[in-house]
Amino acid sequence: MPDLGRAALIVCLGLAVYAVAGGAFGALTRRRRLTESAENAVLASFGAALVASGVLLAALLRSDFRFVYVWENTSLELPRPYTFSAFWGGQEGSLLLWLLILTGFSSAAVLLGRRSAPSLLAWTVPILGGVIVFFSFLLVAVASPFATQAAPADGLGLNPSLQNPYMLAHPPFLYLGFVGLTIPFAFAMGALAARRSDELWVVVTRRWTLVAWTLLGFGQLLGAHWAYVEVGWGGYFAWDPVENAALMPWLAATAFLHSVMIQEKRGMLKIWNVVLVVGAFALALFGTFLTRSGILSSIHSFTEGSIGPWFLGFIGVVVAGSTALIVSRRPLLRAKTRLESAVSREATFLYNNLLLIAFCLTILWGVAYPILTEALRGEPVTVGPPYYNFFLKAFGLPLLLLMGIGPLIAWRRASLRGLGRTFAWPLGVALATGVVLLALGAGSSIPGLVGYTFCAFVLASIGFEFARGTRARHALTGGSWPTAFGQLVGRNRRRYGGYVVHASIVLLAIGVVGSSAYDTTREQRLRPGESMTVRDYTLTYRGTTQERGANAIETRAAVDVARDGERLGTLRPGKNSYLAEQQVSNEAAIRSDRVNGEDLFLIAEQLQPGGALFLKVLVKPLVNLIWLAGFVFVGGALIALWPDAREQRRLAVRYGRHEALARA
Amino acid sequence: MARRASPARLVIALGVAAMLAVFLLYTSIAGGGTPQLRPSELKGRTGEVALVGKVVGQPTGDARGNGLRFRLRDVEGTYSIPVVYRGSVPDMFRSGRDILVEGRLRNGTFFADPGTMKTKCPSKYTAKKQS
Repeated sequence: MPDLGRAALIVCLGLAVYAVAGGAFGALTRRRRLTESAENAVLASFGAALVASGVLLAALLRSDFRFVYVWENTSLELPRPYTFSAFWGGQEGSLLLWLLILTGFSSAAVLLGRRSAPSLLAWTVPILGGVIVFFSFLLVAVASPFATQAAPADGLGLNPSLQNPYMLAHPPFLYLGFVGLTIPFAFAMGALAARRSDELWVVVTRRWTLVAWTLLGFGQLLGAHWAYVEVGWGGYFAWDPVENAALMPWLAATAFLHSVMIQEKRGMLKIWNVVLVVGAFALALFGTFLTRSGILSSIHSFTEGSIGPWFLGFIGVVVAGSTALIVSRRPLLRAKTRLESAVSREATFLYNNLLLIAFCLTILWGVAYPILTEALRGEPVTVGPPYYNFFLKAFGLPLLLLMGIGPLIAWRRASLRGLGRTFAWPLGVALATGVVLLALGAGSSIPGLVGYTFCAFVLASIGFEFARGTRARHALTGGSWPTAFGQLVGRNRRRYGGYVVHASIVLLAIGVVGSSAYDTTREQRLRPGESMTVRDYTLTYRGTTQERGANAIETRAAVDVARDGERLGTLRPGKNSYLAEQQVSNEAAIRSDRVNGEDLFLIAEQLQPGGALFLKVLVKPLVNLIWLAGFVFVGGALIALWPDAREQRRLAVRYGRHEALARA
Repeated sequence: MARRASPARLVIALGVAAMLAVFLLYTSIAGGGTPQLRPSELKGRTGEVALVGKVVGQPTGDARGNGLRFRLRDVEGTYSIPVVYRGSVPDMFRSGRDILVEGRLRNGTFFADPGTMKTKCPSKYTAKKQS
């Protein structure tokens, strides 16, 4: 069995090398058959990766401890679903997952590309092949998941904090997002290598970017929720290097998704867009490098492996190669039009891009700071959450404001009178909200108050856009209001899907502001029978229980919760002692209020059976809007992604001539 | 038209300048972060630092009462110093683990700020590989 896995990986590497060499030669000499066989090699590499993954999965499920990887990451006591998730619980397995997704996405890109943009594939395939070569080489030569040994009786087990249902979903989603960014990169480089000056690659990859971006965003929210319910310190994001590693490519992709519209509509920002695509891909690789090299201290600290330098080298090759390509193709990337006014839709997009990239770069600076200071001064200096929180406010609040301005402002050049007419309504709503919130006491946090006022502004301008469009549609067709609304969204999926995504970001902002600017934390020592009060909650400690769970001893403190004299039930925060792993993990107890979205979050910091309890209590207003935002986010992205026959026809007319020439 | 400078350039230049200004403002007000040191590098330093080391010996005391007391040694080395810590103790804290605490050195003892302890997984959280 291990031999089959090793062989499959070697075959995968061979196919990828062929896709690079054969594909590049075919593209240079314009040999159609060679190009096609390189495409087929990419398809076959997916088959080889599937076989290798199947071998590892079978070994995991059969607890075959001859495989070092299985022994290191599972145990006989480990529940079945986590045996499955151990596939990506360790370094070698997650690299294999990366390869599997990469070859799968590449195959899908080849198959879809044959229909929509065959002429682009010639140079795209060798670039996809190059990335596949890198990952399969790592798996063959540096970090093989198929190393064997004489089988021990039992495995070492999986880290308890990874024994959580979120572990089944969070890492795969992140990987899907990370790897998905490869496809836009390959198409962009493919178009440049083929000396294409048209926007076809943008059209082909917009949907790929949107898919990767949605998966990456959703994966991060899952991770935040995982941290919130499982790690149990009461937060959901801590600016840890690994979290930042996932956030940076997402920000770069967000910037790209916006600026790409300017290229489609006005033929501007071409170089900028290519740079963003390369940047997003390089940051995804950098993220993997950070998590896998052990160069930074992080709560995530994965196994420190020997793959770090390889990744650094590959990032260097990617950045140097694409920079050289962009510089050499600069004449192709000349803008068709220019920015006419600093007050226009285009300019707003530009500001949005500058802010997103500035935020991304400040995070990168913060992440790299310890590495830089160690190199320069001999001792690493770290920057903590205050640094990141400052820039979140400095760049995030203007971004929020722009989200309300951008969709309403005119293209090309906006007049002052037009601005007044458009924004009177949303501005009024925002000011009214600000005044009401101030009266309610939200002035305790100025950034919080500003944030909420901006949120109201954005929501009002989105609502205004929907209302205006529906009314126009209604006047045009005369159908019922819901029909008019349905038609409006159905006919402009990208636009209105985008607005729904904006609304989800506002929900996220409301949740983040509420739970960070207006939260309460209290800590107290309680004996059985004693009570404490936090805000309007009264908490009474009843005593401690102990139970033997499937693979852990579960100690729980019973805490009765009441609000304004009304009993709300009993919460049971506690700790689990895992047997095989000899590890204690904190099990927080959370009560979510369905009406106002507030969480009561209990942590049993220290507890002795029958003795005193150190209880940490957090009250987090509106925090549940963050999780709601995740669903709205995916919903909006799906609307924007849904295939639109009308748009396809329009594009076919625009690029059809080119493709017909290419096929001939 | 050709001779007039594009507003795009102005916008980008102003944008970059504004962001640099924000950045400089931050670094001048809030300072440049916390140095991260090993116990052996601590001699004579009295400022706020982050200390990284390996917990050696049996921790005593109570993180809720008078403070948890333990010794922190260079991860690769022999030099160690006593540490006093109060506040949340991470799940992974135990003798032999690599941890990070923030605080100051006073009279040869490192007084950690409450709630700043973070555990770092060593190469693996379980027993060492038998190679």
